[in-house]
Amino acid sequence: MSLAILLGAALAVVCVVLVALPFLREPDPASDELDELTPERRQRLALAEERDRALAALKELEADHRAGRINDEDYRASIGPLRREAAEALRALDR
Amino acid sequence: MARKRSPARLVIALSIAAVLAVFLLYTSIAGGGTPSVKPSELAGRTGTVSLVGRVVGKPTGDSHAGGLRFRLRDVKDPTGKTVAVVYTGSVPDLFATGRDVVIDGKLENGTFVAEPGTMVTKCPSKYSATKPAAQ
Amino acid sequence: MAELGRAALVVTLGLCLYAVVAGSYAASRRRRRLALSARNALIAAFGSTLVAAAVLAAGFLRSDFSLTYVADHSNRSLSGVYKLSAFWGGQEGSLLLWLLILTGYAALAVWINRNRTRDLVVWVTPVLAGIAVGFSFLLVVVASPFAVQAPPLDGAGLNPSLQNPYMMSHPPFLYLGYVGLAVPFAFAMGALLSGRTDERWIVATRRWTLIAWTALGIGQLLGSHWAYVEVGWGGYYAWDPVENAALMPFLAATAFLHSVMIQEKRGMLKVWNVVLVALAFCLSLFGTFLTRSGVVNSIHSFSQSDIGPWFLAFIVIAVVFSTTLIVWRLPLLRSTTRLESLVSREAVFLYNNLLLVALCLTILWGVAWPILSEAVRGTSVVVGRPYYDFFLRIFGLPLLLLMGVGPLIAWRRASLRGLGRTFLWPFVISLVTGVVLLVLGAGSSIPGLIAYTFSAFVLAAIGLEFVRGTRARRALSSESWPGAFASLIGRNRRRYGGYVVHVAIVLLAIGIAGSSAYDSVVEGKLSPGQSLAVSGYTVTFQKLTERDTPHAAEVRAHVAVSRNGKDLGTMEAGKNSYKIAGPAPQVSSEVGIRTNYLTGEDLFVIPEQVNDDGTVYFRIFVKPLVNLIWLAGLVFLLGSVIALWPDAREQRRLAVRYDEAGSPARGQ
Repeated sequence: MSLAILLGAALAVVCVVLVALPFLREPDPASDELDELTPERRQRLALAEERDRALAALKELEADHRAGRINDEDYRASIGPLRREAAEALRALDR
Repeated sequence: MARKRSPARLVIALSIAAVLAVFLLYTSIAGGGTPSVKPSELAGRTGTVSLVGRVVGKPTGDSHAGGLRFRLRDVKDPTGKTVAVVYTGSVPDLFATGRDVVIDGKLENGTFVAEPGTMVTKCPSKYSATKPAAQ
Repeated sequence: MAELGRAALVVTLGLCLYAVVAGSYAASRRRRRLALSARNALIAAFGSTLVAAAVLAAGFLRSDFSLTYVADHSNRSLSGVYKLSAFWGGQEGSLLLWLLILTGYAALAVWINRNRTRDLVVWVTPVLAGIAVGFSFLLVVVASPFAVQAPPLDGAGLNPSLQNPYMMSHPPFLYLGYVGLAVPFAFAMGALLSGRTDERWIVATRRWTLIAWTALGIGQLLGSHWAYVEVGWGGYYAWDPVENAALMPFLAATAFLHSVMIQEKRGMLKVWNVVLVALAFCLSLFGTFLTRSGVVNSIHSFSQSDIGPWFLAFIVIAVVFSTTLIVWRLPLLRSTTRLESLVSREAVFLYNNLLLVALCLTILWGVAWPILSEAVRGTSVVVGRPYYDFFLRIFGLPLLLLMGVGPLIAWRRASLRGLGRTFLWPFVISLVTGVVLLVLGAGSSIPGLIAYTFSAFVLAAIGLEFVRGTRARRALSSESWPGAFASLIGRNRRRYGGYVVHVAIVLLAIGIAGSSAYDSVVEGKLSPGQSLAVSGYTVTFQKLTERDTPHAAEVRAHVAVSRNGKDLGTMEAGKNSYKIAGPAPQVSSEVGIRTNYLTGEDLFVIPEQVNDDGTVYFRIFVKPLVNLIWLAGLVFLLGSVIALWPDAREQRRLAVRYDEAGSPARGQ
């Protein structure tokens, strides 16, 4: 019975400590601001994803062609636009 | 090849229409399910129904030879009217007096004649608010 | 100790409430330390839930019948491992298991992501905590596992049909699945709340979704297998509402797994993906509600319980919350990419999604209609097998076919002429298979024949994919065939793991088609010496034996089995009469199953009725190919493991992408 109370009290103490820990560790921090995703960063993220997509699409096209899932004609038709897309995405990111 | 409107929207709209059409067609032909009735509601009903009730009294007969005969009452109404049932086909293991069962069939001349093999019993309480009998 | 358990649950409730309030405040006002504090509270909530669970588990292991719940679901003579599984044998305990897994997953998710996606995690914390508030509230206020009583001499025991390894593992796996869907849900809501439109939340939760989905699938197979061998009516799935409760989120999650690939490749379907993940999670809450509330007429049905209305409120809150969020962020989520061609892999995934969601919604209607009908019209209906079978065929068979079409089509746009060449071999193989099967008599069931033919198509298509891929790799790197095969899979784990999962689904389809469309049954009353014949087998009733154990009176009918004249040995099947208090002993059928491992066929002997005069009424099934269903489970697991296997190259690539964009990810 008393064991239960002891364990219960220990649990409560541990939980309170954990919850208060960030405040205990840094009672007076230089900055309490959370990093925010600025619009500029969001833009870069979107561009990075586009670039990865374009590059992956190129890789897939090559793989599909090599494995015979796309014939030469379709390959030739698609590779141009895809390469342009990838180049554009890379350029946009560099800016 | 630039498309003004994405074919995706058209495809989705057509598919939803197709699904709805299939669905409505099916339910209008096959009906929206079998009505579920209690023994007290059975009188005067024609057509196939799904009867839900509790077994009272001692069952007699053999479901594989001539039919198992027993009576059902409303699950929630211990004083209600009981209905005579004759059942053929597989009987679930849990079938016993005092258990709740569901059977498909129709009322014929005052006796509920079951469609063979359609009896389902409910599992004795797994998540129940009442305590099962202790040893 | 019950007070400790109850106190621990109150602590959990308090911590989760704090995490919701403080977490939301910290996220909206960008308070760093408060956000950390909220995260710690969520992690601590796992600790206190673990304490509560440990108290209950200890109660079972020590047979502490002062706990009402323990007394209701266990007894002294129950063996150790089932004493533990009785933990989740009832309402309160299974809710506690749900909460334990939820807080465990939540703690893990926020901890793993503590140094990445911090702006997402600050919102994920209050969402996960909010779900936990719901469950811990139920456990503290409505359905406490720690009610106490004057201890009886012995407990009520666990239902004998539940004392089975499959039934023991079925709930934990299911819960790992149900609860697991909360994490991608929370991340999706977190992305919406923080106004992010990129796919970070998808990347972060990809493995979570796959693991939850796999667990849900395995959990259902375990349940089906239990139903097959233990309940013994000859089937494995009855379209019971409680069974459907697990199938619906599984279908929605399957659709989701596919559609996120489209967002990944093409940046499309952002709105659809958040809708799907919210649907999957709400369905898993709904499924939990269905199983517990007594609201449905089901063979699993439990008496009316108090928990129903609360759960319904919980689900309504979840639906309203996610819908509001999605509608609010709709303008942000519009994508500019369009579907280029109706003949492309994106399009095939789209069709697959439509079919999966259509099937899911028709099952939902089948489950909800009786409830709605009762509430609105006062009369209830029963939606039976034919309804579900019909829609399973209408939506399931095309889905089966699509599994073979998808892998062979390229992204963006595939030319019809190119397609003709690619599909030639699978088409020819499936056509030949169809004709051969027709000649062999499979025409007795048209849906079955179609299922078989489509399955042949898919297997041929996937086989072709593996061959082509390996050949291309060999050309690149001049490895040996096995080496090229291994490195092909190693470099494309998600794709080829996915193909293996497709193979598993095909095996499942073949198993289901064989055992339901082409099974045979015979029944009759036999005296010793008489036989029944079915599908080439002859089953001869030899004798009845009786055995008395402390728990039950066991009656066994011994039968001799032969096939086409060849003696195959003997089998036993019978009934157990369990000695429990009450008007009637609990009887269970112990069916006899003889598996032919070469053909996957089962001879299924059910002793329906043991008569006093020594005769037995038998019902005997022959179920072709049924064991492919269980084999499919193993293949399914293999495919998932392959797809889940960490890929260092991909991790690096993703890290570069998110670091580069300057995401708030640096350590602190």
